Amino acid sequence: MATAVTPASLGRELSDPPSDGISNLRFSNHSDLLLVSSWDKSVRLYDASANVLKAEFMHGGPVLDCCFHDDSSGFSAAGDNTVRRLLFASNKDDILGKQCSPFGRAVILVSEIFDMFSFILIIVFHSFLFFSFFTIGQLITGSWDKTLKCWDPRGASGQERTLVGTYPQPERVYSLSLVGHRLVVATAGRHVNIYDLRNMSQPEQRRESSLKYQTRCVRCYPNGTGYALSSVEGRVAMEFFDLSDASQAKKYAFKCHRKSEAGRDIVYPVNAIAFHPVYGTFATGGCDGYVNVWDGNNKKRLYQYSKYPTSIAALSFSRDGRLLAVASSYTYEEGLKPHDKDAIYIRGVNEIEVKPKPKVLPPA
Amino acid sequence: MSQPQSDPLLQAETTCGSLLYELQIIWDEVGENETERDRMLFELEQECLEVYRRKVDHANRNRAQLRQAIADCEAELAAICSAMGERPVHTRQSDQNAGSLKEEHARILPQLEEMRKRKSERRNQFIEVHEQIQVISMEIYGPREYIPAVVDEIDLSLRKLEDLHKQLQALQIEKSSRLKKVQEHLYTLNSLCSVLGLDFKQIINEIHPSLGESEGSNSVSNDTIQRLVVAIQELREVKLQRMQKLQDLATSMLELWNLMDTPIEEQQMFQNVTCNIAASEHEITETNTLSVDFIKCVEAEVSRLEELKSSKMKELVLKKRTELEEICRKTHLVPEIDSAVEYAVEAIESGTVDPACVLEQIEVQIAQVKEEALSRKEILEKVEKWLGACDEESWLEEYNRDDNRYNAGRGAHLTLKRAEKARALVNKIPAMVDALTSKTLAWEKEKGIQFTYDGICLLSMLEEYNILREKKEQERRKQRDLKKLQGQMIAEQEALYGSKPSPSKPQSVKKGPRMSTGGAASRRVSLGGAMIQTPKPDSKANSRVARKTDKAHQVEQNYLDDGVSCLSSARRGLDIAGVPVKKYSFGAGSTRDIEPPPLARQPFSPITSKVSSNTNMANSKDELNIQSEKLQKTISLNNMPFSTPSKTAAIVVDDENRTPKAMPIPVPSTPSTVSVPMKMVMTPAPAFGGGELVRDIEYSFEERRLGFVLQ
Repeated sequence: MATAVTPASLGRELSDPPSDGISNLRFSNHSDLLLVSSWDKSVRLYDASANVLKAEFMHGGPVLDCCFHDDSSGFSAAGDNTVRRLLFASNKDDILGKQCSPFGRAVILVSEIFDMFSFILIIVFHSFLFFSFFTIGQLITGSWDKTLKCWDPRGASGQERTLVGTYPQPERVYSLSLVGHRLVVATAGRHVNIYDLRNMSQPEQRRESSLKYQTRCVRCYPNGTGYALSSVEGRVAMEFFDLSDASQAKKYAFKCHRKSEAGRDIVYPVNAIAFHPVYGTFATGGCDGYVNVWDGNNKKRLYQYSKYPTSIAALSFSRDGRLLAVASSYTYEEGLKPHDKDAIYIRGVNEIEVKPKPKVLPPA
Repeated sequence: MSQPQSDPLLQAETTCGSLLYELQIIWDEVGENETERDRMLFELEQECLEVYRRKVDHANRNRAQLRQAIADCEAELAAICSAMGERPVHTRQSDQNAGSLKEEHARILPQLEEMRKRKSERRNQFIEVHEQIQVISMEIYGPREYIPAVVDEIDLSLRKLEDLHKQLQALQIEKSSRLKKVQEHLYTLNSLCSVLGLDFKQIINEIHPSLGESEGSNSVSNDTIQRLVVAIQELREVKLQRMQKLQDLATSMLELWNLMDTPIEEQQMFQNVTCNIAASEHEITETNTLSVDFIKCVEAEVSRLEELKSSKMKELVLKKRTELEEICRKTHLVPEIDSAVEYAVEAIESGTVDPACVLEQIEVQIAQVKEEALSRKEILEKVEKWLGACDEESWLEEYNRDDNRYNAGRGAHLTLKRAEKARALVNKIPAMVDALTSKTLAWEKEKGIQFTYDGICLLSMLEEYNILREKKEQERRKQRDLKKLQGQMIAEQEALYGSKPSPSKPQSVKKGPRMSTGGAASRRVSLGGAMIQTPKPDSKANSRVARKTDKAHQVEQNYLDDGVSCLSSARRGLDIAGVPVKKYSFGAGSTRDIEPPPLARQPFSPITSKVSSNTNMANSKDELNIQSEKLQKTISLNNMPFSTPSKTAAIVVDDENRTPKAMPIPVPSTPSTVSVPMKMVMTPAPAFGGGELVRDIEYSFEERRLGFVLQ
């Protein structure tokens, strides 16, 4: 299948890719460093522009997510229920915390095995002078044990000081996204909770996904007015935080990552959404192996890149939006089966592919 | 000439000798006698001696003076040395080896001078230090104990100086620490002022004018510090009071917001108030957060909200009351609480009762009434039917009395039809009444209260109706008898006169009392409609589901015999039907796991298995399903609380053998490589079995892959 496309049109493939499925990848906010977490129990740090593997961290279980703290350290969440801080320079990591079971004693043993995954995490740096709680960077993790937790990565001594708060969720957390002080939490059961980080005691808004199927990914608009949410059924919903009628009238959902074959649609999960840091347009990646770039404001598709060998597991734009990292990696949607090898492609992004086209005004 | 000069004594002797000679010559000339000459010579000797003695005395005195001076000098030197705490440089041993006294004196003088100079320098140092100490201690302790700088001349030792320096240093440190303290106090004061919105300059000017100056000449006296501390204390108290007030206001504000669902934009303005609601005193540092104006502004907002709330509350209470009344009306319950609500509204207006409390009360009542209504529903429906039948009955009676009823006028056929229906209905009434009575009795037995309909006991209504009916029946029988009698009479007459008169108008049929059931019947007219219109809660949803399943059916029909695509399209159909879809089963490669929709599911199974080209495959899939179901079961067993972690962990973690051994070789669900997710779904829905629990929960790909299962 992959033979049909020339590597050039896919972008530059990184050497030393992970040996198993890629769970996530993220560009640094300061450089072209790329952090990649994988099911092969590793987190890898690449210099994307130089195509060099700079560091590798092995974990006790598959790594489900990772993110940067700064260019010298990052965080990872692994299937062995631990959140680790990774120090890139020393190749060392220390365990930030173990997810704790909220259940009674009798279930704890089992919970430790199955329940307590930290699943996705993001990092937040806040400098609200007026809110003493958020003067420092916080790490937020969502877990399949139906909790959201905030960690203070500085408190190295003891869990009590590291763990800032635990917030129960209606279902297992599947995706998180943050913009400004708003945190969007998407869980199983199509729940969407929107938090104000300054008051985490309860969600600012509780919503139900406007899509009918399991939520796959949620990402906030860079301008902070709303979020995009994708489902396993080839659809993306564009939502707005503002509850006024005028704002809510703007929300919509669209189909994508579908294949028409003999007049029928075949629908693929949309695994990844990545917003362009400059133009606010966004790329989606699906199990069909395509990466599409959309202009959410004008409701137009701007570009479709040529097909990748297998499912798109994750996407990330670099800080200036000139590079797009594409994880082409089978996401286990059909269970265990032979599939193309996992690969990371770094592609240059042309302005024309991501810049919103001005609306064509009707001739006066 | 040089000789007399070089030896004046000799010269003088010569002169004395020559003078004596001259005297002898004179005496010889004069002829003085020997005694006179001796006397004269003695006198001369006496006089000479006198002169000598005088000179010697004088020299002696000089020597003594010189010695005294040296001694004085030495004493002074010693005094200075001792005062300055130094070893005396000069000792009395000079007597032997030193030269003359004058030399000694000359030697000691410069030393003395030197020492004196040093002493005065030292003294100046002392004075200087003293003065500094004075100045600082005056700054610190105030001017009351001013002591002029007197230097103790006796002890000017370096040690003393050192001591003084230490003292000075201590004082300086004290001063600087006080200065720092003052600065700190000023800073605290400043922040307090800024938080409280007070004029910092004015306050510190009141405490000490020097504090207002920017350079470091601030007053550091005890008094000033004391005053600063007091001022800070006072301001802090004010701050605490205001903070308390602000937090109270914020609390009530939050409550009001919650109560009235105030929009976020409106809340935003006071976000900085509410964010401080739980802050402790030192956390509130934002300028003007506690200023009088700000608090007033917040207060105004709270009172505005309060007003809004009370007006809204009244509105809400009234709305709730009408809701309650509506429900009561619909369920023919007598709203016994009306007066209470009326009273409550008045109370709210007068402000004696908390509207929230009243609201809650009404809501509880509404809930109660709703609950009661639910239990009454069945009986009420029957009552409606019965009353409807009664209406029809009375109409029928009326109609029957109308002699012209068979005249063909406009709409006569309709009336005829109605009458036909009404007759059928009337026949059913006794059964209805019986059923209703038994139902009501059962209900009353269960609830232990009377079933009332618009305040009237339903049973008595029914009884009344039965009695009436009985009466009517009797009347009718009488009528019939009468008619028979008349018939006989007519027949007789006919026999007699041979003509048949028109059927006589029944005379005795009075307009019977309507099947009235108290006030209910009349009220029913207006309310019956409402009752019928009560929406059935499920109907809409049901119809929606039904419609969608229909659609699903359609889709399926269209692609019935199209192998693979049929699968995907059918799945779509399911999607449309709003059924939660489990796309991928837990076991790797197993192709099952769509949750059967409540009703629409079943039909799919036979159809799918009929898919011609895939029959075998479907069969194998069926088997696979059963197996995977078993597998799932075992795994869910493993998930039970007491399994050993290591066992399960092995399943979870082992990369290579993620598929348990029991699994058959994964059968590729579809021949095509591309259209991935859709085809997974299509195997016929398995019968509901033990694995149901597991299947009911949706899982993401990652959870499936990790074997993550909820208990």
